[in-house]
Amino acid sequence: MRRALGIALWVLAVAAGIAFFLVLPRFVSDFHSRELAQAGVFFIAIVGLNLLTGYTGQISLGHGALMAIGGYTTAILVTHEHWRDVWTIPVAGLTAGAVGFLVGIPALRLSGLYLAVATFGLAVAMPSILKKFSGLTGGSEGLVFVEKAPKQITGLGGSVTIFGHSMTQNHFLYYLTWTIGLIGLTIAWLIVRGRIGRVFRAVRDSEIAAVSSGVNLAKIKTLSFALSGVYAGIAGSLLAIQTQIVNPLSFTFLLSILILVGAVVGGLGSLVGLVVGAFFVQYLPDVSTHISERPGVPDFVYGAAIIIVMILLPSGVGGFLRRLARPLTTWLYTRP
Amino acid sequence: MLLAFDWTQLAQQTVIGLSVGGTWALLALALVLIYRSTGVINFAQGEMAMFSTFIAWSLVNHGLSFWEAFFLTIAISFVGGIAVERVVIRPVERAPELTVAIVTIGLFFLVDGAAKWIWSSETRTLPNAFSTRPIDVAGVAFSIEDLGNIAVSVGVVVLLWLLFRFTKVGLALRASAVNPDESRLLGIRVSWMLALGWGLAAAMGAVSGMLTAPALGSFDQNLMQVVLLYAIAGAVLGGLGSPIGAVVGSLLLGVFITLVGTYVDWIGTDLRTPFALAVILAVLLVRPAGLFGRTAVRRV
Amino acid sequence: MKGISYVLAALACALTLATAASGAGTATPGVTPTEVLIGGTIPLTGVASAYSTVGLGAAAYFRYVNVHGGVNHRKIKYLIKDDAYDPSQTATDTRELVEQDHVFAIFNSLGTEQNLATRPYLNALKVPQLFAASGATTWGRDYKQWPWTIGYQPNYRAEGTIYGRYIAKKTPKARVGVLYQNDDYGKDLLAGLVRGLGKKGGLLVSKQSYDVTDPDVQSQIAKLKAAKVNTLMVFATPQFAIQSFVYAHKLGWKPKSYVNAVSSASNIMGIATQGAGKKQTEGSISIVFLKDPNDPRWAKDKGIKLYRSIMKRYKGVHPGNVYNVYGMSVAHTFVEALKKAGKNPTRASLMKAVTHLNVKNDPFLLPGVIVHTTPTDRFPLDQARLERYHNGRWYSFGGLFRVR
Repeated sequence: MRRALGIALWVLAVAAGIAFFLVLPRFVSDFHSRELAQAGVFFIAIVGLNLLTGYTGQISLGHGALMAIGGYTTAILVTHEHWRDVWTIPVAGLTAGAVGFLVGIPALRLSGLYLAVATFGLAVAMPSILKKFSGLTGGSEGLVFVEKAPKQITGLGGSVTIFGHSMTQNHFLYYLTWTIGLIGLTIAWLIVRGRIGRVFRAVRDSEIAAVSSGVNLAKIKTLSFALSGVYAGIAGSLLAIQTQIVNPLSFTFLLSILILVGAVVGGLGSLVGLVVGAFFVQYLPDVSTHISERPGVPDFVYGAAIIIVMILLPSGVGGFLRRLARPLTTWLYTRP
Repeated sequence: MLLAFDWTQLAQQTVIGLSVGGTWALLALALVLIYRSTGVINFAQGEMAMFSTFIAWSLVNHGLSFWEAFFLTIAISFVGGIAVERVVIRPVERAPELTVAIVTIGLFFLVDGAAKWIWSSETRTLPNAFSTRPIDVAGVAFSIEDLGNIAVSVGVVVLLWLLFRFTKVGLALRASAVNPDESRLLGIRVSWMLALGWGLAAAMGAVSGMLTAPALGSFDQNLMQVVLLYAIAGAVLGGLGSPIGAVVGSLLLGVFITLVGTYVDWIGTDLRTPFALAVILAVLLVRPAGLFGRTAVRRV
Repeated sequence: MKGISYVLAALACALTLATAASGAGTATPGVTPTEVLIGGTIPLTGVASAYSTVGLGAAAYFRYVNVHGGVNHRKIKYLIKDDAYDPSQTATDTRELVEQDHVFAIFNSLGTEQNLATRPYLNALKVPQLFAASGATTWGRDYKQWPWTIGYQPNYRAEGTIYGRYIAKKTPKARVGVLYQNDDYGKDLLAGLVRGLGKKGGLLVSKQSYDVTDPDVQSQIAKLKAAKVNTLMVFATPQFAIQSFVYAHKLGWKPKSYVNAVSSASNIMGIATQGAGKKQTEGSISIVFLKDPNDPRWAKDKGIKLYRSIMKRYKGVHPGNVYNVYGMSVAHTFVEALKKAGKNPTRASLMKAVTHLNVKNDPFLLPGVIVHTTPTDRFPLDQARLERYHNGRWYSFGGLFRVR
């Protein structure tokens, strides 16, 4: 009986969440939907990173670089090969996933900190690499969609028509990003709940124990990396589609740091708080500059906010919510 | 063929590489110290060093000589490092390591912002610690400053070694880092040992900044941002738990990057940093604990 | 080419309709009887935040103008958005300024890549992209394709050409080496130098580039010395320019130096002299078009006095920073253009004013420099003086050059 109640509550919460997502654009300005779409980009990257770091215990400081790969794949396909922007999303995801897979291979020999350093190196090196292959990437100027392939931009005329339903480009971007985001979240949830998720967590909690239980460490680590890479690639692709440009300056080490901050603030090892993590990373810089434009103050406020949030919520928002909900879940799931 | 090769150029670039690596070595040392005690890379180490450099500048601006400002800043930074640990790190001492890492990221922005808020973004300068008069040996030029910077790094390593090896405090520091729980049982105030570690690291960072700024000729709030990345790379190459490794790793990295940039045209100066990072990765594949690191024995 | 124009026209129609339909209100966005709203992107945070005073200085000038009545009874409201030097963020922020804030024009956005990212969008929507804070040549050169865009400062390529011509003429036997930043800024200066050297292109014997993420340029300086260069072109930003002097000194090498305008401010040269010795910087050559607030020759100058009083009374930040002066100059020019745009300015009338500028009284520019544009000459500032560094100060020589 209590179990059924628990499931019912859960379904209700999910339904409420979906309803909220569908209806939100009506309550905010048209342009603000675009900002929400950008938060969605962070959300997708954060979910991917969480699968890798929160559930498999592997650290990556290079998710910004994987986003760059996704973003540039989209940009190159659109501007050089004249693909429609939205159709490039799966390709971008797979390309980044492939790179994630390759990065995951040395992870067998390296672990913990050293993996962090490898991904760190990738993130630091990415802008230089992007600039070097300027024939393909546009070098330090990057690629501007409106200039090179305007017909491939969905919604260039300001409105988009899907299945007979017409909406503004900003709304389209919002729905596109968050629909993909929620699908990605669902897939992550299914993975986490399933057998693979258990194996991930086994690897996180004790590699040696996992190996002695017959887990193929190399396979799992590379799988985890590849999977999170796909998410990052899709996030990067959506970012390129939203801003309609790519540039090495948009994919510096700072981006990788921001995704990590978002994941930890959202709560590693849990999928619930990640939306909050994404919003935190999206809106905090704006709030900081609103408080003061005076040089130094926005950065100061930004840093202080991160520190205070981490001190107050060391397990992130997700951890905090789980602790809050513990009396309820305990009540629901223990026999009377 | 051997005679046609420009040996002078090779020697000169090697000397430059050592000088460049030397500026990273002290910051790498600070990183290693914090890593050993707190278990994370302090992403704010560079900004803290930069902040100390600005303090030194203010002191010099108020009339102190370089060396007076130098030692006073070290003392101030030492206290500052302890204060940072007590206020910002202590609340998350028991939290997962990633949380602590994120706190250091927040600290990065906070200290950077504070430095921009208090002092404007103009380019400034610090007097040179050592003479920059060029000395020419067989066509290779360098200055006392280059030697001085390396000497200071080596000196700090020696001091640290003496501290760890021969003093009670040093023993307590090492014990707290290796096994905090048992150390507590022995009566060591582990929490304060952490703070002490941060104070020492901040002091070393201050030295790093105060020597790097004059070596580069000028500084502003961005002084240590690039240095931090190379210091991390150098420390990892040397083995993140090893002070000697931090210095040697940084010097090697400096020489390697400089020579690759000079002689491999395709890589040139554009790609030498990515290339160097790839090589570090390759080294780690062969020696996962870095050149001087000790492979951790994992308890099942 | 034709395809793009067609699409941009279609885009312009559709987006103008969309904006109108979304309730932009009056026919001229950003203009009310009491206010003119403009906006731009500036890196307020991040590694390029040292340039933030380009925007903050302009903001201080507008506050001064507003206190004195504004323009045609309208106060100028200047929105600055922080893009942290990230072109993706620039694109988003600019869109917000246009679609959400409904600005009259985009003004004084900073950065070459940043302005390039938004130029097609702004031109499609016929939103003026005024006085892009970047020395790239394309703002003035490519006006046929992008008629709503205009730059301001003398462009880098032209600056390099001046140096090249001067070297070819005065020191035709020099061995020229270049240290340049590996992006559009450095490459433009280099391209200009090559153009200016013309037939004497063989004088250029070595070029070394560096990236902003490089630890330092010791290695590049050593290579230039090894190539037996005796004339060093420093096409680098201030901290790297200072390094080049300091490292040349450490290597016992004293080439004749040319320093690009971005790095020739008095305080920068002062620091270089401190670190490298008087002999190292003596005789350096650069060009100048702004008045430098730290330069003793302007200590009693009316324009700089006005500058200081505005900084003091209207909440200016860091008065010693020369980018503030640039900001005030470009703001001053905007005010002149707005006056010329008429009692009821529209975007079209503003662009017309901007392409018919002839401002002679800018208090922040060198005496004699005129802000001048015509519909076919889209380089507002194209005059500068050569100057030589002697005994710790800059001295102008020769006349006003055309920087083209």
